Amino acid sequence: MELFIIGVVVGVIVFAFLLFKLMWRVAEPNEALIISGLRDHSDSGDTAESLGFKIVTGKGTFVIPGIQTVRRLSLDLREAELAIECVTKQGIPLGVRGVVIFKIGDDYASIANAARRFLDQQQQMDARVHNVFAGHLRAIVGQLTVEEMIRDREKLTQLTRASSGMEMEKLGLNVDSLQVQEIDDPTGYITNLGRPHAAAVASQARIAQASADREATEREQEAEALKAEARRHSQIKQSGYQAEIDEAAARAKQAGPLSDATAHQEVVVQETRVAELEAQREEQRLQATVRKPADAKAYEQVTLAKAERDSRIAQAEGQKQVVTLDAAAQAERVKVAAAADAEHVRLEASARAESVTAIGAAEASATRAKGLAVADARRASGLAEAESIRARAEALAENQDAVIGQQLAENWPAIVEAAAKPFGNVDQMILLNGAQGISDVLAQALSQGATGLALARNLLSGASKSSEPTGHDSNGKVTNAIAPSDAAKQGKA
Amino acid sequence: MLGKVGRVTAAVAPGHVGEVMVAVRGGTEAFNAYANDASLTIPSGTRVVIVEYYPPRTVVVSPA
Repeated sequence: MELFIIGVVVGVIVFAFLLFKLMWRVAEPNEALIISGLRDHSDSGDTAESLGFKIVTGKGTFVIPGIQTVRRLSLDLREAELAIECVTKQGIPLGVRGVVIFKIGDDYASIANAARRFLDQQQQMDARVHNVFAGHLRAIVGQLTVEEMIRDREKLTQLTRASSGMEMEKLGLNVDSLQVQEIDDPTGYITNLGRPHAAAVASQARIAQASADREATEREQEAEALKAEARRHSQIKQSGYQAEIDEAAARAKQAGPLSDATAHQEVVVQETRVAELEAQREEQRLQATVRKPADAKAYEQVTLAKAERDSRIAQAEGQKQVVTLDAAAQAERVKVAAAADAEHVRLEASARAESVTAIGAAEASATRAKGLAVADARRASGLAEAESIRARAEALAENQDAVIGQQLAENWPAIVEAAAKPFGNVDQMILLNGAQGISDVLAQALSQGATGLALARNLLSGASKSSEPTGHDSNGKVTNAIAPSDAAKQGKA
Repeated sequence: MLGKVGRVTAAVAPGHVGEVMVAVRGGTEAFNAYANDASLTIPSGTRVVIVEYYPPRTVVVSPA
């Protein structure tokens, strides 16, 4: 029994709990309960009764099942993505992708407005808002320039409120944020916007780099120059020291030979002095032994010759006077005799002329006849002789020197004799220049003979070419050629 | 709502709709704001008093 009672109590409690569970509904923080049906007369400020439904947020409430219905309206944040083609204030076409973040307003008016419009279409809310907001965004972009759109967020939100605020209030929605996510710029306006600055920055960067590079290069080159200078200094010093070392070494190397040469030079100087002294001594000796006696002898001979000459001159002058007187007497005598002879001859000649004229006339005719005969005979013999002469001339031309030599050999004794003849007349010959004088005289005589010889050779060769060179003729010419030497002998005498 | 003090988050100016943040219902909510004196410009950050309320989200403010 007790157990039954306990069971009934428990059952009642469980029933009451389940009934309570069925009737008590709680609104979550992010949602609103829309209760319609039995009118709730509670008139608190936190609930709004309009159009006969009750809105409950953030707490629980009793709902009578079957009489009242409860709907839940989410107050969560929502977003709608927008992608539109639009034109800016400057007329530049842009593709704008944005997102609008919105929620149902937290006040009862907004919840009521939204509940009436979207309660059964909460899933389509985003699409509706997208459609509404596309138009608004296009209008917003149309009032902005590209630069403002990029930089001026304040203006974007301000325009968003201005253009869409009222409309959103109608829907019970509250726009928390409008974000432009992406701007598609088919004309390249935005790219070009940054280009001058980018170019300026790039140029500044290049300038800075170039100047830094230049400065670095300058420093490097200065350092190089300093290094080169230092190297030069060091090399100059090294070279200087090397030169000193070389000089000292060379001097040391030359010291030995130099001292040798100096010593040798001393020896040579002394030897030269000795040779000079010896030469002086020899000269003195020759002066004493040769020159003085020779001078004395020459003086003696000159004196003797002078005396001889004077005596002979006096003798010759005496003879000349004798001869002159004799010749004058003889001339007178001859002149007289000649005059007598001339008279005698003239008479005799005139007598004989007459006789000769007569005889000549007779003889002339005889001679002419004889001459004609002889002429014929001569012509014949002449032709024969001419032939023989030509043959001989040819032979001469071929071997002239042999022929001349032969002729000279035949006549040589006569030539030499003729050349020696001048000396035959000299009684005593004094030569002032000693033995050389004798040889000079002989050479002169012989050269005269030789001159005659050469002349004879020329004449012979000329004669052999021009006319018949008979042996008699050549002898006669040689004698004539010797004649000048006779004349010379007479002059000397 | 009336008499509450809020903070301007977007400047209220002639021809411009401003925004004020007001603490209500245990949180803070943003309302579209107009100046009580229509020629007045109220920069952002200024404390304002709500003098009129037009549900659901519009208020008229004047500088505090």
